[in-house]
Amino acid sequence: MDALVSVAARALREGDPLGALQRVALREDAPALALRGIAMAQLGELTQAAALLKRAARAYGPGDALARARCGVARAEVALAARELEGIDLALDEALLVFTHHGDTENARYTRLLRARHALLLGRIEEAERTLSALEREGLPAMPSTLAWLLTFEVAVRRGTPRVARPALEQARTSARRARIPALFAEVEQAARALDLPAARVLSRGEAQPVVLDEVEALLESEHLVVDACRRVLRAGPRVVTLSTRPILFSLLRVLAEAWPKDSSREELVRQVFGARRMNASHRARLRVEMGRLRAQVHEVAGIQATPQGFVLEPRRAVEVRVLAPPVEGAGGAVLALLADGEHWSTSALALALGASQRTVQRALTTLEATGQARVLGRGRARRWVAPPLSGFTTTLLLPASPLPG
Amino acid sequence: MDKHRGEVEETQPAEVLREYGPFDGAARVHGVTYDGARVWFAGDEGLQAFDPASGQPVRTLAVACDAGTAFDGRHLYQLAGGVIRKVAPETGQVLKTIPAPGKGDDSGLTWAEGSLWVGEYHARRIHRIDPETGAVLRTLESNRFVTGVTWAQDELWHGTLEDGTSDLRRLDPVDGRVLVRLTMPEGVSITGLESDGGDVLYAGGGTSGKVRAVRRPRRSRR
Repeated sequence: MDALVSVAARALREGDPLGALQRVALREDAPALALRGIAMAQLGELTQAAALLKRAARAYGPGDALARARCGVARAEVALAARELEGIDLALDEALLVFTHHGDTENARYTRLLRARHALLLGRIEEAERTLSALEREGLPAMPSTLAWLLTFEVAVRRGTPRVARPALEQARTSARRARIPALFAEVEQAARALDLPAARVLSRGEAQPVVLDEVEALLESEHLVVDACRRVLRAGPRVVTLSTRPILFSLLRVLAEAWPKDSSREELVRQVFGARRMNASHRARLRVEMGRLRAQVHEVAGIQATPQGFVLEPRRAVEVRVLAPPVEGAGGAVLALLADGEHWSTSALALALGASQRTVQRALTTLEATGQARVLGRGRARRWVAPPLSGFTTTLLLPASPLPG
Repeated sequence: MDKHRGEVEETQPAEVLREYGPFDGAARVHGVTYDGARVWFAGDEGLQAFDPASGQPVRTLAVACDAGTAFDGRHLYQLAGGVIRKVAPETGQVLKTIPAPGKGDDSGLTWAEGSLWVGEYHARRIHRIDPETGAVLRTLESNRFVTGVTWAQDELWHGTLEDGTSDLRRLDPVDGRVLVRLTMPEGVSITGLESDGGDVLYAGGGTSGKVRAVRRPRRSRR
């Protein structure tokens, strides 16, 4: 290890890729190639970064397991930034074994952070949480400390618990200031927007109101009857009725809830839920059947009364009915939420992150493209999707996640 | 891989092997670099190089040194006053002047992967520019830290200057603990530090205008 490499390595760690390149840009030996690759990654040149890291790994040869593991993690990280999500956990696990074996605690810890980030991106919130809780926070250097707190914050946001998220955000800010890496600080501030931007809309008595996460949390803890269209559940305080696998029932419930305290006519219900423009006898019969099923599902927290025109929702207790609606309606919402990070996503990465089939994702993308909400770049295997950020809304509640704690 | 387990701070006077300078036109030494053959330092009036064996100055480039210098293997690029000058190191001749993208907030310049890179760290922007035309090929407005793994650093040396006394320190690269302190004589300051890749550290001497070669002590093995 020569002095220039160690100065370059330190510059990278301090978030100064230009200072690092200054020392090694003209060199072709293995450590220099690796550092050039990492610097390119920090400069957002991901394709070039991947190529340099590949060359570095080859230049090290099989004899230097530790250096190759470092190249492997750096490459995984570039793939993560490029949203090429397949096979990342495998690469990280392999590297983790090498780091642990060689006593490279710093990189072992960093690899665990990347695992948590990968899990979070795929909506595996519990896994991210487990990985993070196993991390020692005391005496961490500023950069990994910032990342750890930032991930803790993101987990809390995805869980819908801003009260837990806030202190983590403050810790992330403090560490980021210590790290003095502008890009890292910007990332923390970018993440912080999730708390300030509206995360959903609340519909009540025909009025729609944008609400931030704090208000969502307060609403879910209130006594009101909440029809949560982000997670397709009905909540009444601690009681939760899950209708996520019953889309028809949920649609009926939502129409009733939006009309509350008035009733919804049969025509309206048939039009909105079955998509029929005119009602005939079979619609009428089907509506009766589905309404009976819905009644059975929700009877603990609300009744459904027939009226001369149609049906009306009646909460069991004297509370208001509220609908919590996502910022973007429809099947494309979750896809848009992922695309909203501004990165280029492949169809397969989107499917992986949503836990949906590629076909489903492709359908949603086609619709989004037709309405100008997503753009496609490249062709064939290099096809990538991008979307403009959703202005004025955070996508927190649209992202795939395990159910909010009820 | 060395583990510095149980290693305690050693303090010893620095062994100054040699002093170079002061050189004409460099009453102060700001920073030091070593290109494998010559020691370059940024003085008041430009970049200067000397031969560490003979101690003789071998080159002075009258380029302003208020910001970055880059080297592409053949030419030097010097950023100053909102422009980048391409300089032939043999003659000091300015071959080309191209505009710098940062409009004066440029805070770093390097050559890499066929392009020049200019950092505007305050604005969190980094530009990739064509070294021939100065055309901006791409601007990165970084709001995400794609970091890298840390590369093992065998030894991390660092010059300090506090209350007029200086020392050279070897730090533990992982936790920043001071492992070795080499104290410099009273009144000797350190500005800029560079290793020759071997047993010598070059330390800039600030207002003395000198550059000192200091022996890097061999690590005591236990």
